[in-house]
Amino acid sequence: MFDEALLSRLIHRSLQRGGDFADVFCERRHTLSYRLQDGRIHDASYGVALGVGVRVVVGESAGYAYSDDLGDEALMQAAEAASLIARSAPAGHAGTSDLRREPVASLYHRELSDSMDPERYVALLERADATARRYDAKVVAVNALLTDDVQEVWIATSEGRFVFDRRPLVTLGIQVVASDKKERGSGYVGDGGRTTIAYFDRATPEELASDAARIAIVNLGASPAPAGEMEMIVGAGGGGVLLHEAVGHGLESDFNRRGTSLYSGRIGERVANDLVTIYDDGNLEEERGSLNVDDEGVPGQHKVLVENGVLRGYMQDRINARLMGVESTGSGRRQSFRFSPQPRMCNTYMPDGDASFDEILSSTQRGIYAKSFAGGQVEISKGDFVFMVGEGYLVENGKITAPVRNATIVGNGPDAMMKVVAVGNDSRLARRHYTCGKGGQYVPVGVGMPTVKISSITVGGTQHE
Amino acid sequence: MNEAAAIDAARVAVDVARSCGAHSAEAAVSVARRLHVEAREDAVARLEGSTGKGLLLRVFRDGRRATLSTSDFSAEGIRDAVRRTVAQAQLVAFDEYAGLPDEVSIATENLSLCDDAVSQRDSLEKIEEALRLERLIREADSRVVNSSGSHYTESAAVTALANSNGFAAGYAWTRVGRSTGPVALDGGVKRIAHYGTAARHLRDLETLESVATTAVRRAVDLFGARKPPTMRVPVIFERDVAASVLDDVFAAVSGANVAVGNSWLSGGVGNAIGSPLVTVIDDGRLIAGLGSAPFDGEGVPTRRTPVFERGVLRTFLYDTYYARKLGAASTGNSTGGGVGPSNFYLEPGSLSLQEMIEATPLGVLVMDTIGFATEHASGTYSRGARGFFIEGGELAYPIDEFTVAGQYADMLAGVDAVANDLRFDASVASPSFRVAEMTVSGN
Repeated sequence: MFDEALLSRLIHRSLQRGGDFADVFCERRHTLSYRLQDGRIHDASYGVALGVGVRVVVGESAGYAYSDDLGDEALMQAAEAASLIARSAPAGHAGTSDLRREPVASLYHRELSDSMDPERYVALLERADATARRYDAKVVAVNALLTDDVQEVWIATSEGRFVFDRRPLVTLGIQVVASDKKERGSGYVGDGGRTTIAYFDRATPEELASDAARIAIVNLGASPAPAGEMEMIVGAGGGGVLLHEAVGHGLESDFNRRGTSLYSGRIGERVANDLVTIYDDGNLEEERGSLNVDDEGVPGQHKVLVENGVLRGYMQDRINARLMGVESTGSGRRQSFRFSPQPRMCNTYMPDGDASFDEILSSTQRGIYAKSFAGGQVEISKGDFVFMVGEGYLVENGKITAPVRNATIVGNGPDAMMKVVAVGNDSRLARRHYTCGKGGQYVPVGVGMPTVKISSITVGGTQHE
Repeated sequence: MNEAAAIDAARVAVDVARSCGAHSAEAAVSVARRLHVEAREDAVARLEGSTGKGLLLRVFRDGRRATLSTSDFSAEGIRDAVRRTVAQAQLVAFDEYAGLPDEVSIATENLSLCDDAVSQRDSLEKIEEALRLERLIREADSRVVNSSGSHYTESAAVTALANSNGFAAGYAWTRVGRSTGPVALDGGVKRIAHYGTAARHLRDLETLESVATTAVRRAVDLFGARKPPTMRVPVIFERDVAASVLDDVFAAVSGANVAVGNSWLSGGVGNAIGSPLVTVIDDGRLIAGLGSAPFDGEGVPTRRTPVFERGVLRTFLYDTYYARKLGAASTGNSTGGGVGPSNFYLEPGSLSLQEMIEATPLGVLVMDTIGFATEHASGTYSRGARGFFIEGGELAYPIDEFTVAGQYADMLAGVDAVANDLRFDASVASPSFRVAEMTVSGN
């Protein structure tokens, strides 16, 4: 659809005023979704995104322009607009505009022959609805959304690299609301990956909907969360949101090159208890955050962020890697052709430690067990974070005693990582439904974690004795 | 693409939908020219300028509906996408409430949504503005050693809407913004703060000096912050945080959430929910308001709707679909597929924020929060926060790493003071206000 000759001309035009490098990102994306509400297919939608983004980089400065008009004149205008950044900056050399098509890895499971057979989507949603309603008479509402997305990208750089990638992504999200007349509780479960809807033959809508209904019933019977400092057990899998917020964002190279992160200039230093090792990996098969190539055309990689408590490296995109004198780690990502790339996480996780879940639980006197998180946010300069617990329980004298609802956890990244006192031997990746927002751009990511114990954290509930 | 061309494009999309088998259809076309300048230190870090367009098409056939969103305006692209969308609608369940609105119209008064000066302004002046903001934050306090960038943003756009009942109209609008993120360093601790302002007209923007001063104050005032004790005390929400609480109040009065049981206010119309100080208005006709428009996403005229009057919940807010479903009339709040706020705000009181602090013997001032509501069914509020501990009517010391929590119902009922500092910097806005008692969790 986008040939080498056209992309060469765009790169050539974009570097007419000079620049260190330039790239062109072409995107064609089709998104199909069906939503179930009130026990029936409530609406359907179809989305098409088609456009080209041109970027010119001069030192620390970047010019960017996109066009959703694929006519020659409009595309050349975008290249012209991007080149304006070089007007006020000292011009570097222009690169080659001879493009060589390079092959990419294949981490995704999608057959080109897969058709988007609409009846199959509808059946999956109806099975989820029926399962959740059968689960308990207190289930009063089921909302489910099935999305099938295929993004095709053509990326060309002024160094002559030209790659194509076709990225599938399916997601089934199920929200269940339970009510006993007096109170309401809700549960959410989502799954999917870079594959086809055949994935839901393995992770069935029955399994996912039962779990969402189970969480809704747990939350319906839950007490208001306690308030104050206590121990915390972070659940395996979904607990990985903690790593994403408390550490991951602070290790993105834009914040570190600019010196705005608390982790800036600290490679080789101790930033966590020596039990803590954290990876970010763009190479895991089928995972939401995996990329054959990133949005700058660099292959996805396995990155060691923290090893035995010591900071090992940042996640790099091309601009920041160049300015910091290192290589890109394949972390340059963007929401669409309308945005310039940023360094972002792919799939962030902690490998196994050696404690068993029972050891961790029995050592906990008074705490909260956050089995999963519903979301989180971090402020990267000082490292303060907050998490909303999706499914949580009180732990008293080594036993799980009662479910708690609407708990918020607040803390500080390095402080919490220093207070990691046990790492479980049950590491796994979470169900795949997480989306990360940064600077107004949303990209799919994965998280994972073993059961981990943190010796002290602030729980922000309403129950204060 | 000008206004007339956008209206034509919307009409064409409706015709294509009809020819592909839709019984009725509605098309919204928007075309926006956007500019974003980011300055950092003494250089332009980012210069982004593009014109983008979008079509949002809703098709209806036999009480079934489907939606298309596309940026591909080629004749072939539109025809192919519309055909697929109409086919998708066949799998949707029959829904008696789905369809075009009964009444549409265009406002006659001028809402002053477009500032021609935005496009006429010299581009070098726009770049200089971002550079100047970056200088101002560094001049404001010697502890400002870095920044995440200072920004100037603008959009100049046209929005057009056409439907198969013959409605066709459009309007032009502009939006300009300035924002900055100073990083201050003191005693080895780095603190970043963000502050920004936005308006339809350049002349309505808060000055660069004022934006810089507020942003820097938010970064440096919190040095030496500690965790407060866990306690139940009065909590003052400063203006921007107060607006984020109003965001959640909007979610609870949105007909879309009420209809699916995802609102703690379900069944509450006519009841006294808030204190007598709680009057909340949704005004789609505020002159030059960022949430104003002559008609909503379905062509229904916008209006001024009192949502809470002296604490009493008067109505939920609706688009056509959720109004029909809940037996009400549209309040002109359609976003073209959902329900959204116009200018949704808490009516200001007469106190200044300073006077409110002075009238608080013991409490907490919340200047910033992190976190967000994940579900509105149970009506629980809980956020990570930072701000000041108040003792004897004075800001005693800065505090952070704590949470503020309570039930929204108790919060609205507990509003016992509202300040006079309302500014319409976003479509949801609020003056600072105080809640009589909430749970603060710290040590």
